Amino acid sequence: MSTAAARNADLRGTLSLPAILTGILGILTLVVLVIDFWPYLANGNITQALFSPDETDFEQILFHFSTLPRLAMAFLCGAGLALAGAAIQTVLRNPLASPTTLGVGAGVEFALTLFVLLAPASLAMFQEAFALAGGLIALGAVYLIAANRGNATLWLILAGMIVNLLLQSGSQIILLFNEQYLQSIFMWGAGDLAQNGWEDTQFVWPRVLMCMIAILALSRPLDLLALGDDTAGSLGAKVTVLRLLILGLAVFITASVISAAGMIGFVGLAIPAALRIAGLSRSRDLMIYSVFTGGFALLIVDFVVRQFNGLGGDPLPTGAATALFGAPFIIFMLRKARIMPGNQNDDQHSDQQIISKTALSIALAVSLVIGVVFSLFVSLDGDGFVILGWQDSSLDILIGRSERTFAAMICGAALAVSGTLIQRVGRNPLASPEITGVSSATALAMILALAIFGFGQRAELMAIGAAGGIASLLVLLALCRKFTHAPHYMLLNGLAMTAILGAMVRIVLTQSGTQTSMLMSWLAGTTYFTSMDEVMIVAGITGALLILAIALRRPLELASLGTDQSVSLGLGISGFQFAMMLLAAILAASATLLVGPLSFVGLMAPHLARVAGYRLAGGHLLGAVLIGVNVMMVAEWLARNMIYPAQLPTGLIAALIGTGYFLILAIRKR
Amino acid sequence: MNILRALVCPVLLCAALIGATMSPVMADPIEIEHERGILQLDTPAKQVATINWSFTESVIALGLDPVAIADPQDYVDWVAKPDLPESFVDLGPRASPNLEALRAAKPDLIITVPDIGMAYEKLAEIAPVLELKLFDGKRPAFETAREVFGKIARATGRETQAQAYLDTVDQKLIEYGKRVKTAIGPDQKINVVFFFDESNVGIFADTSLPGSVMTAMDVPVAYDGEVNKWGFGRGGLEILAPYAKETLVYTTPVPEVILNKLLNSPIWKVMDFSRNNRVYELPVVWAYGGVPSALRFARLLTETIESGPQQ
Repeated sequence: MSTAAARNADLRGTLSLPAILTGILGILTLVVLVIDFWPYLANGNITQALFSPDETDFEQILFHFSTLPRLAMAFLCGAGLALAGAAIQTVLRNPLASPTTLGVGAGVEFALTLFVLLAPASLAMFQEAFALAGGLIALGAVYLIAANRGNATLWLILAGMIVNLLLQSGSQIILLFNEQYLQSIFMWGAGDLAQNGWEDTQFVWPRVLMCMIAILALSRPLDLLALGDDTAGSLGAKVTVLRLLILGLAVFITASVISAAGMIGFVGLAIPAALRIAGLSRSRDLMIYSVFTGGFALLIVDFVVRQFNGLGGDPLPTGAATALFGAPFIIFMLRKARIMPGNQNDDQHSDQQIISKTALSIALAVSLVIGVVFSLFVSLDGDGFVILGWQDSSLDILIGRSERTFAAMICGAALAVSGTLIQRVGRNPLASPEITGVSSATALAMILALAIFGFGQRAELMAIGAAGGIASLLVLLALCRKFTHAPHYMLLNGLAMTAILGAMVRIVLTQSGTQTSMLMSWLAGTTYFTSMDEVMIVAGITGALLILAIALRRPLELASLGTDQSVSLGLGISGFQFAMMLLAAILAASATLLVGPLSFVGLMAPHLARVAGYRLAGGHLLGAVLIGVNVMMVAEWLARNMIYPAQLPTGLIAALIGTGYFLILAIRKR
Repeated sequence: MNILRALVCPVLLCAALIGATMSPVMADPIEIEHERGILQLDTPAKQVATINWSFTESVIALGLDPVAIADPQDYVDWVAKPDLPESFVDLGPRASPNLEALRAAKPDLIITVPDIGMAYEKLAEIAPVLELKLFDGKRPAFETAREVFGKIARATGRETQAQAYLDTVDQKLIEYGKRVKTAIGPDQKINVVFFFDESNVGIFADTSLPGSVMTAMDVPVAYDGEVNKWGFGRGGLEILAPYAKETLVYTTPVPEVILNKLLNSPIWKVMDFSRNNRVYELPVVWAYGGVPSALRFARLLTETIESGPQQ
């Protein structure tokens, strides 16, 4: 059978569904346009309103300089992001890749935040280059961490999460020191399409169009790429150059769109992925469809958002709204995506023991004791080190410091145990507690209670947060019941939950005024508000669950070696794995209640413990706890003292330490 | 250690009670109603720590130097006046005042807002806390500000000064109000707006601090749309369109880039206030402040309008 015939058969079979999808969106877009244009169509002065509005008629001016450019921007941004997503997905052969999931968006956003707040006006012309560099560096870092891993799909997503978290921490630190401009930055950061002229459109359209043409011109070689490096290489395409070129163009589109309109999440992920599920497989078709479907989709979403904004009150940013629509879509997609469990051999290189485990354990324990004493008695006051002497207030100061230090340490322990369990059961060394989504749900419940329903007391918030965490556990259970490779689906459900949290947080932050910076520091993980009683309760829970986990070390060992054949045979999720994931989720939720949704410790501590040679489950748990506690103790001291009298959220410092660790690890591997 | 405190506290309390009953000369304690019930102070506070600029400026206006102030650098940029005292303890950000620095300042009263209510217990361990709400979304902010000013005066034993200050404020507001009305003409209303970015604006209604001060000045507030807790509405530039025939005053600071883009945008230019030159730029004044900021707003508004519109 000839290839042409095969393709024809293919066309007949697959084009219909995507075409219907695009067609429906196109008709809806037409409806939107008719509604927006109607007053002028009915009056017969549509050409005037479109091209040379009557300067005395405010409605016409508004139509010409606000509604029209907003429609154009929505289409351009949607089309550009969807195309960028399609290109990145094809190049990296990863159905879950997109500008948002691979850290490109966060990179651009970070660079722009930095630039807008810190760069002098005379450097304004370099803004675009700066944003582009931010996006490229973020993508590069993600690629570096994930390159040469056995299971590229999952690793890329996880590496993307790491880089996203880091960059978000970075942006937050900058913002915490520019509190007064928070509202403006958040508005933009949340993806705001409001226009008052054609300036932004004129900035975006040539860039997006140019890149579109270039990417579409390169789309034939892309099909070769889709066959895999070997095939493409043998067919003569200069694979690496082509990949980099296309990725560069995709990042450029993303950077342009984000510069003009802020973060618009999920279009770049959901549109191409949906089209692929609908049956498009050739990259040229995928991209052409992505342009139109993406453009139409964002235009329609923006129309809906505009209707809400028309009612007065606080505007809802379009970008955050797309994330709310888009995140549930990931959960749906999980049923389609083929993501297999990774295997432990990924990290063979690092399995040699560096020093003896006993020596390491003793060293960690000693540093812990010295560290606690240091944390309690030594501080910085802006001039230098101060050692706490004996005065009336010393006891109170010690109590204050110990509350915070112990809170940080207990969290480190809880997350280390949680992370070890997830990494072992999930058989993935990059999995971590926050991606179960339980901590996100806990945080979300607390934020909604605080910012929207006005609960201000810590006890109330704790109760609401716990309820949120439990509810999300139940949702997780319901979602994962039917899946065979449950641990991985659980992780990706967590990804979606985290994204929903992110969107909600952006919306809340644009509207909550002076509470904003308090919310931000709590979201980044701060020990500021903890009390000793809470620390004691969480310590009790952590201790009990740690003992339980150690008692179960033998089955845990088996589960993490992958001998549990029932999973890979698709016979359903084993009860034991499930119980372990639950344990991990409870620990993550407790830690979140205490200091907020901390990232990284739960990822880094177990990973570092295994690299250092704690390989059996029991030792792994204890080693991770020792490391987690030490790291958090250091982070807490730095957070409290680095820039006295201001205090950074502990979680931000922990995140910086954690990402630094992973980048070093990735670079050392080469 | 909490147990230790739990044991020690009642003992101290008993000792204090015995001491109190044994010295009949002592005056009645000062009682102030606040968000957490009634605060009792045996003597007027002398060493006050302020976690919010509205309190900082009020305490200074009452002639007392706060011993500890949150976010003093931004105070200089956004509140500007009254000047901060020569020496005080910098507490760091308003959202998380440094507790050790606060303790070191040895305050005998901490004045804070419910926005950081989660930290109330921690603050209360250091000194008596007065938690005062500045905005509740219904009551005019100037009214609340006056009440808060009165409470701070009571807590610091400066009620006479406060009354004198408030009398001056009332008198001045009426005078300023007449001057503004003469300057803009009898039919004009005023819109006070601020810029979020180049396409989003906030617009103060009569429950906000600027709006309620204008009401007290008998100067009509133009905006009557939907508002949030702080008394302002928010939206794209089109939110200004129904009020384009009125006078517009925008607050500062605004980053220059944003201001340039906004003032040159076609929608802005077509509005009646910019076509017919009724746009005024207000110097720095804290729009979410207390009575001193209210007075400063009234004075600056008057002077700005009397000195003529932009360009």
